Amino acid sequence: MTTSTVNSKSKLRTVDLVYCALFATLMMIGANITSFAPFMVVGGVPITLQAFFAILAGLVLGSRLGALSITVYMLIGLAGAPVFARFGGGFSQILSPTFGFVVAFILVAFIVGKIVENNRSKKMYITAAIIGVIVSYLIGTNWMYAAYMLWFSAPEAFTYKMAWLWMIPPLPKDLILAVFAGVFGHRIQKVLKVR
Amino acid sequence: MMEKMIFGRFMPGDSFVHKLDPRSKLLFVFAFIIIVFLANNPVTYAALFVFTLLVIFVSRIKLYFLINGLKPVIILMAFTFLLHIFFTKEGELLYHWKFISIYEEGLKQGIFISIRFLVLVFMTSILTLTTSPISITDGLEVLLNPFKKLKLPVHELALMMSISLRFIPTLMDETDKIMKAQMARGSDLSTGPIKERVKAVVPLLVPLFVSAFKRAEDLATAMEVRGYRGGEGRTRYRQLKWDSKDTLAILLLVAMTALLITLRS
Repeated sequence: MTTSTVNSKSKLRTVDLVYCALFATLMMIGANITSFAPFMVVGGVPITLQAFFAILAGLVLGSRLGALSITVYMLIGLAGAPVFARFGGGFSQILSPTFGFVVAFILVAFIVGKIVENNRSKKMYITAAIIGVIVSYLIGTNWMYAAYMLWFSAPEAFTYKMAWLWMIPPLPKDLILAVFAGVFGHRIQKVLKVR
Repeated sequence: MMEKMIFGRFMPGDSFVHKLDPRSKLLFVFAFIIIVFLANNPVTYAALFVFTLLVIFVSRIKLYFLINGLKPVIILMAFTFLLHIFFTKEGELLYHWKFISIYEEGLKQGIFISIRFLVLVFMTSILTLTTSPISITDGLEVLLNPFKKLKLPVHELALMMSISLRFIPTLMDETDKIMKAQMARGSDLSTGPIKERVKAVVPLLVPLFVSAFKRAEDLATAMEVRGYRGGEGRTRYRQLKWDSKDTLAILLLVAMTALLITLRS
């Protein structure tokens, strides 16, 4: 499929705009996959595929478009569309300590996209995805700690270590999903032929 | 369900707050988030609380919706309240029982922080309860305009937001359909070990991605055929209008800021 717009590097093509927009909407499906596919509840805990989709955004759309599409996702969520996990949405989400993960996904998509830009082997895709998850945890957890300090003026009893202990349990699950995202991204990228 | 997806948390109405321009509401809420941190004694916190109640009253939003917005953070709030109460050991001892001792400062801090968070959640919720996502998008586009100089594609972002909002119900429908289609073909999705189940999302995701990207290409073609050439010189269907109501709202906030600065200790 070719579009007639001038394909310069700085300007976004119309089709790029629409890809980003649709990927932002796909993020919403990923965040709430359990309400469509009940089998994704493992051991009573609903799995969200947000990190998975953020990584895919980077892998499939590339660094710049990937980051843009997650930015769009964040903005429509803040504007009130129910796109975050558990159909959350609205400007008050900015107060949620876990909002940092949504912000982190922008960078995740960017980094993941940058890594695979030059090397398109399957191995590279998986490596990029794992780095993506680690970045999201680094930013998300630090943000959580900072947000907690800011909004709640948390007392001394709430330490930096506690923030990490809070965040560590879902890490193995996300790492497994990251490997899966790498494999899946490599496969789907050939089908979609975005770049 | 579908209705809820399109409008998000927006509750249509015709109150003073509903009729404000999205730009003034966005500015108002951003500034409010900052001035909340000016409060540092009982009088200022009381002032903030009363101010918020007044805004709620003027917006004529049912309290039920605001309480609903609190649900996700209520545990966090309670947790922090308890942390403050039990771990701040300053001021007079108010209560002592075995290893539990509550001090005056702790109780005060706990209450202050709860009020701070409450007014923040209420105010930000009012923004999205009285403004539809699409008008927030319009407002944001104008407010972010200065960032164009920093090469932020503001117009494109706003357009992407509109497209994305439009496609939420469509893609939800699509996901549901694909899910049912795969089940009708006999794919077993609900049993087996975790690995198998994660694998089972593949027949759900591949068609979803392919159809979403197909849709994207169709839409892009349709836009170009109709002559879309980027933000330059584009006229708008929805016009924003700043009138005296909006100026009044901003002035109220300025007054509130002045009040907080005089009353804070």
